[in-house]
Amino acid sequence: MDYFEKHIRDNKALFDEHKADRAKMWSKIELELSNTEPKVVPLWKSPILRVAASVVLLLLLSFLIGITVYDSQQPGGQSNMVSQELMDIDMHYSNLVQHQVQLVKDHPDLSREDKEEFLSFMDELDEEYEVLKLEMQKNLSNERVLEAIIGNYKKRIELIENLLRQINDSKMINDDYGYTL
Amino acid sequence: MKTNIRFTHQELVEKSKLGDRNSQFLLYEHYVDAMYNVSMRMLCSKEDAEDTVQDSFVEAFKNLGNFRYESTFGSWLKRIVINKSINHLKLKRIPLEPMEDHEYHLTEEPIENVEDLDIEKVKRGIKKLPPGYQQIIHLYLIEGYDHEEIGEVLGISQSTSKSQYHRAKKKLLEIIKEM
Repeated sequence: MDYFEKHIRDNKALFDEHKADRAKMWSKIELELSNTEPKVVPLWKSPILRVAASVVLLLLLSFLIGITVYDSQQPGGQSNMVSQELMDIDMHYSNLVQHQVQLVKDHPDLSREDKEEFLSFMDELDEEYEVLKLEMQKNLSNERVLEAIIGNYKKRIELIENLLRQINDSKMINDDYGYTL
Repeated sequence: MKTNIRFTHQELVEKSKLGDRNSQFLLYEHYVDAMYNVSMRMLCSKEDAEDTVQDSFVEAFKNLGNFRYESTFGSWLKRIVINKSINHLKLKRIPLEPMEDHEYHLTEEPIENVEDLDIEKVKRGIKKLPPGYQQIIHLYLIEGYDHEEIGEVLGISQSTSKSQYHRAKKKLLEIIKEM
């Protein structure tokens, strides 16, 4: 840099001889800035986001369908298991009850009235059992219905056992009487 | 220190980036006169300079998000003003390329007593130069651009910028000597 250049640069402030019309220029700048506020492009108008949204929607639908199918299969599996378990229990108790009922029917020491009274109780319990069975088909996971069914079987068996005990007791009394006689 | 200079008016710049109109106005107040003078030197027209500076501020505020403090805000803004001024000259088909040496019969004689040179004479001398020489003198001597930057602004090579500047300076000194 020579003296001439240095001289100019040292005094370059003197070259700023003009004054801007600040207010007039700012009003135009402000107007321009206000007219061109940042453009807001709705997200759904962006092609990439539209594709992304479609993919997300597809995944969401697949997930919901999957969950529905899984749910329908899961309880089905459970119902099959429960139903199988119930059938086993039902088979066990109905065989037991049938056997006991047959014993009562065939018992020679029981009067016809006693047998009818006993069988009428058993019919009532059968009706209750049928109602519970229908309830069970509607709602297999209802533990209270299951408990009621089992309770129904137990009541029948208890009834049979009581009857048989009464028969035996009367037999023993009769035997005792025999001995005393 | 240089790093600190680059962050001059950082708070105002950051608020302006968020669209804060008061901060934008304060930045404008700081720089408008300097930018107006830059544009006036290049365009020599009040109306053209006003339009150019207005457009430059609008562009600067709209694109402030791209400003990363690689220079001062003032330098960044000045570059916008200069580019817009050059584009304006191009639109008006004002020749930016200086004329050839032989047209001015330049001499290599050194100028004596430049320390005592009157700045007003220099200003008047610059105005007598053809537009192409005026631009390169302004860019190099007053705006402080180096030849690489002048090359970028004018779309010429560094070596062309250097040779054209030397020719412009010689012609200017010759004009001043004759005053």
